[in-house]
Parts: sequence; C-alpha cells; structure tokens
Amino acid sequence: MTIFAPANLKRLFTILMIAGVIAVMTGTPGSSTAPPTTGIHGSYLERVSWFGLFAVQRWFLFFTLGVIVWLLVSFYRPRARTIRHGFDSVLALPKEITAKRPTRIVLILVALAILLFLPKLVHESFWMYLIVEQIGVWILLALGLNVVVGFAGLLDLGFAAFYAIGAYTTALFTGALPMPALFHHPIPTLWVIPIGILAAMIFGVLLGTPTLRLRGDYLAIVTLGFALIIDDFVEIQNGVTGGGVGSTPVPHPSLNLGFLHIHWGISPTPYYYLCLLFIAVFIAVFSALEHSRIGRAWVAIREDEVAAESVGINPLKFKVMAFAVGAASGGFGGVMSAGLVGIINPSLFTYQISVNVLVLVIFGGMGSIWGVALGAIVIQTATIYLDNYQPWGYQFNDLFMYIGALLIVMMIFRPAGLLPSRRRAREFAEAKGGDDVHTDEVLTGEQP
Amino acid sequence: MSDDVVGESVEAESAVAAVTASDLIIRAENLTLRFGGVVSLRDVSIEMRRGEILAVIGPNGAGKTSLFNSLTGVYQPQEGTITFTARDGAPMSVIGKKAYQIAQAGVSRTFQASRLFGALNVFENIKIGAEDHRGIGLVGALLKGPRTRRGEHESDDVVIELLEFVGLKREANVIASQLSYGARRRLEIARALATDPEVILLDEPAAGTNPSEKLELAVLIRRVRDERGVSVLLIEHDMKLIMSLAERLYVLNFGSVIAEGSPAEIRSNPVVIDAYLGSSHEETVA
Repeated sequence: MTIFAPANLKRLFTILMIAGVIAVMTGTPGSSTAPPTTGIHGSYLERVSWFGLFAVQRWFLFFTLGVIVWLLVSFYRPRARTIRHGFDSVLALPKEITAKRPTRIVLILVALAILLFLPKLVHESFWMYLIVEQIGVWILLALGLNVVVGFAGLLDLGFAAFYAIGAYTTALFTGALPMPALFHHPIPTLWVIPIGILAAMIFGVLLGTPTLRLRGDYLAIVTLGFALIIDDFVEIQNGVTGGGVGSTPVPHPSLNLGFLHIHWGISPTPYYYLCLLFIAVFIAVFSALEHSRIGRAWVAIREDEVAAESVGINPLKFKVMAFAVGAASGGFGGVMSAGLVGIINPSLFTYQISVNVLVLVIFGGMGSIWGVALGAIVIQTATIYLDNYQPWGYQFNDLFMYIGALLIVMMIFRPAGLLPSRRRAREFAEAKGGDDVHTDEVLTGEQP
Repeated sequence: MSDDVVGESVEAESAVAAVTASDLIIRAENLTLRFGGVVSLRDVSIEMRRGEILAVIGPNGAGKTSLFNSLTGVYQPQEGTITFTARDGAPMSVIGKKAYQIAQAGVSRTFQASRLFGALNVFENIKIGAEDHRGIGLVGALLKGPRTRRGEHESDDVVIELLEFVGLKREANVIASQLSYGARRRLEIARALATDPEVILLDEPAAGTNPSEKLELAVLIRRVRDERGVSVLLIEHDMKLIMSLAERLYVLNFGSVIAEGSPAEIRSNPVVIDAYLGSSHEETVA
C-alpha cells in the first residue's frame, strides 16, 4: 500500500479532524469578555511554541502532530496473523483450543499481588474511598452489563435500575427507609448481600420475560423506560423510599465469628477487600458461564437468532437468563454502594449511570471480561484524576466531552474495544466486510 | 456405534417398502398460509414417509420456502394441520409450537442463504447443535458436576463423528465465514444433524456451489439417509441433482400442489411442464 492511497489519505483526514478537536478541547475556555483570544477561536490562534523551536499558532502545532501520527500509522506493519489462522487445519480438541498460555497466568498473578497490596500503597483513605466507590463498584456494574450486552448481544440502556434495586433493597432490609423493614425486623447489612443479589435477579426475570421478545432498538427503549420508572419511583415515593432526600444512614456491615471480627466502618480498606473478593467471584462465575453450554447458546443467539432456534435453543429462556445473571452483579454493586456511601438517594442511579456503564463495556471490549474490567479501571481512573486535579482548565462537565471523543476515536480505530474478545472482533470485521477490513487490519492487527 | 447405524439403515429400507399411516413421519393437511391479502400456501397437503428422500420443486415464488417455514414453526399457517410422528410413535401437532420445540422434537433444517455462526469455528458451530439445550440450569452449568461433564464429552464425541461424516475434519479450527461455499453447505448439514433429528429439511443445499461440490453434496445427502436413517426433505432448483436424488417429488406452483410422483412421472407430467415453461403454446396462440 502506498502512502498516498485513497484509504490512507482518508485516514489522514480523520486524524487531522481529531487533532482539530483535541486542539479545542485542550485550549482556553470560552469567555464573553475577550473573544479573540478565548474559546474555539483562541484555541486555534493562540501563539505557542513549536517543540521549543519557534512560535506558531496552535492549529499548526496540532496539525503537525496529526501528520506525525499519520506517518507512524502508515508505516506501521503488524505481524501477519491472518495466515496462521487460514491454514490452521489440524484438528485440535476443545481442550487444546482453550488452553491458557503461561504468560497470561503470570500476568494475572502479578495483577492480583498489586491489587492485594494496594491499600498499603495508597495511604490516604480519601483515595481508597474513591477507588472502591468509583472503580470497584463500576467494575461490578460493567461486568454485569457485559453479560447482557457482550455475551447475549442485548442492548440494555437501563442497567442502573438493577444497581438501584440492589441499593434500595439494602436500605429496606436494614431499616434505613421510611418504610418499615420487612417483618419490622432490620437485619445486618452483611446478610443483605444475597438478598440484594437475589432481588436484582428477580427483577431481571420480571423485566426480561415480557420484554425480551422484542429485538434490538425496541428492547433498548423498553429497558430505558424501566430505568426511568425505577428512578422516578424512588424519587416520588417519599413515604417508601425517602424521595429525593434519600434514606437514613445504612448501618455499616460487620462480621463476628468469635475468632474473626471484621467491622466495615469509616475506613474504606475493608470495603476494598470485600469488593475485590466479589469482583473475583463474579469474574470466575461469568467466565465459567461464558465457556459453558449457556455461554455458547448466548453466542448462537447473538450471532443468528433464527439459526439458534433451528438447533433447539429457546432464545427467550437464555436471554432472560442473561438478564438475571447480569443483574446479579449490578445488584451487588448496589449493596456495596449502600454500605459504603451510607445515605442513598435517586441522584446515584440516574440515566447517566446506565450510559456510563455502557461506555465502559464498549470501551473495554464487549464480551471480553478482562477487557471490560480493564476498561472500567482506565476510564474511572481518568475520571478520578480529572475531577480531583482539574488539569488544562478542566471543568466538571467536560468529562462527557472527553469520553465522547474517546468513544469516537475507539470506534474508528479499535471498534471491538481495548482488549477485544476474539469472537467479537471477528463479528465486527465480518459486519464491515470488503476493503475496510483490510485497512482496519493494517491499523490494529485485528483478525478479519 | 456401528451397530446402531446398520440397524437404522435396515429400518429405513423397510420403511420405504411398506407404507402405512404410522410410517408417515410428516403429514401436512390443507395448509393455508396468508400474509395479509397475499396467499403464500393454498390448501397444501403433503405426506412424507419415514426414511425417504422427498423433494419439493416449483418455480420461484411457488411457496417452497414458505412450506418449509411452516413445517419448522417459523411461520404459523392460518388453516390446516401438520403432524410429526417420532420414531417412538407419539404423534405431535406442529402448528402452534415454537421453532425450537420442533427442533428439539426431531425436525431439523438448513437455510436457503446459509446461516452459520460466522464468528465461530467449524467445531463450535457443530457443538452448539449437538448440545442439549433443555435441561440447562445455571447452577449445573457452573458447578460442572459429573452430569455436565459427561454431557460435554458426549457432545464433543458427536462433533468429532460428524466432522468425519461430512468431511470437514481438517477444517475443524477454521472460522465458519472463511469456508468455501461447498464446505459451508456441508457444515450446515452437520450442524442440523448434530441435533440428532429424525427428519432433516434442506432448503436449496446446493445453492452457490460448483458442479463438483454439487456431486459431493448429492453423495452426502444420500448418505444422511442410508447411514444415519434420517429422512430427507429437500428443496432444490438444480433439476439434474434432484432427479437423481429424490425418490418422490411434490410440485408447487402459486402456493398449490400441482403434481406428485416419482421423478419419471413428474418429468413427463404436462401440468408440470406447463408450470415451468409458462402456459402452453397452443393456448397463447389461440
């Protein structure tokens, strides 16, 4: 491929557009008093130094950076992986196909060691709290939504509903709501964990059974409606949920086995370990499901529902199962949040949460458990950083602009996500088809 | 395993010899299927004997695929009855059943435009067909108890046996969307056979294949019946293929059955010739 091939020039155009957008995003904030030097205008025309050599206007700096990126991309040649697959014709039994490489096990062990000792490295409880609340809980949510969106291929725009159900179930059973606890007998927060998970799963089945007969866009609209109903319900029903003000404090959980006494209190560290434990459990359960008959049935439905039915798969049953399984970790996320934050109110469960979780799943790689977890870590860490350090004149709501831009860039260059699942990457390539597969393959090393 | 196959093929031969009511594996009576004002099937009755290779032919738009979709639960005809009689003798009414229930009962099918799971490899495609999707519980799948593991091994064995049967053993690891047309067709048949059906419905199995692949497919389809004892109902446009393969044919035109009989009878039937070549010359001249 020559560097001036139409496809490559098209890519130059895309990169320059992105460079232009980044120039504005990192430029001076708008101001009505001094328009020529601020806002979009100022972002392009402000004089800056060109790599310390001479003074140029900003647009020139960003465009030269864009051209450099374009040149690097044009000359980058990934190893040709296509050939191996095309001619790999020896019959391998499933065991050999799924055999894990030792490098991967080492990687997991290293990651686990870092995760276990993280509280020793992070001294301030302020950061620990954010790690649990902003990263840990969001990993749980992303893992759950990944089962629904990534495994079964169902677009769910209302995942925050299950999060809310988990949290409000916790408040209800611990007696933190205006409505009296069940049987007028509040139970310890720790015991609510299975109840919260179960409640979310039951709602998953209740919502799924009538609505999962719908496909694609229609399902997305119904799930969106469900989330809005839950959100409105908790907001309006003052007598039941405490309305906009929210619950009274949910008691911190504690565990007393005589020889072992753990109290989850002000310090976020015990919460961190609890969260870590459950993330590990959910990852283990979800990946076992992915590689079971159920996981394969999900793939079949996702790929071609009519064909799946023709081999005896009941689509509704497996879709409802995906909904319930996904809701489980969402529900646990809610229990976690309620215990950690203490006072829960509707502002924690808005539509924005559903969208953000979906962004994590898409960014990380739909259908890839590790990808989704990594995606949640990357995006949420960036969020914490931006919110607390406010670099480059960052203002609170700018986050959505950055995330939007990030998603656009991802969709162009790496549509299957950060750590794509192999099957999903193939599906994307298949859907695009033709010449585009080739350009994509050159750029990202993806399998067509 | 080999004893089974022999037993089944003997059974298949005897079924062709003597036809009684209980030997009918599929019996469709007076089917009428409408889409709004358009009548797709009009009072169609067909009978399929256990162990035969039966073909449905007809010009484009005659209602062949509609008939297939009615038999497999994809469409629900407004009038008529369809009865499927399993080998154990229990008749089942097909109308009102869902497509997956009919597949579980033992009626399997392939599609006109092949519908494989394109991102999965050949092995996985067949395995999804081989697995039992009925008694799956979340807990069982998670704990991987002895029953689950035995199920896994059994379906792996089925897949390996089918890979050899259709001749795709060397392509087990290839992604389905990268296969040649002929191989895709064979994979679709393997996936349909993996559900352990009693009857298999093939919708234009040779579409898009080259002449040598067509020959291989004809051999494979005959082996499906002879070696596995599975009755075959097929739609095909290639007359040479169908006349050499089918033992009996139904001819559809404008949603109605216009003829039924052996290949020789159909070939010389004036009504059929009319349907394929348009109304006869005398009429148009007069």
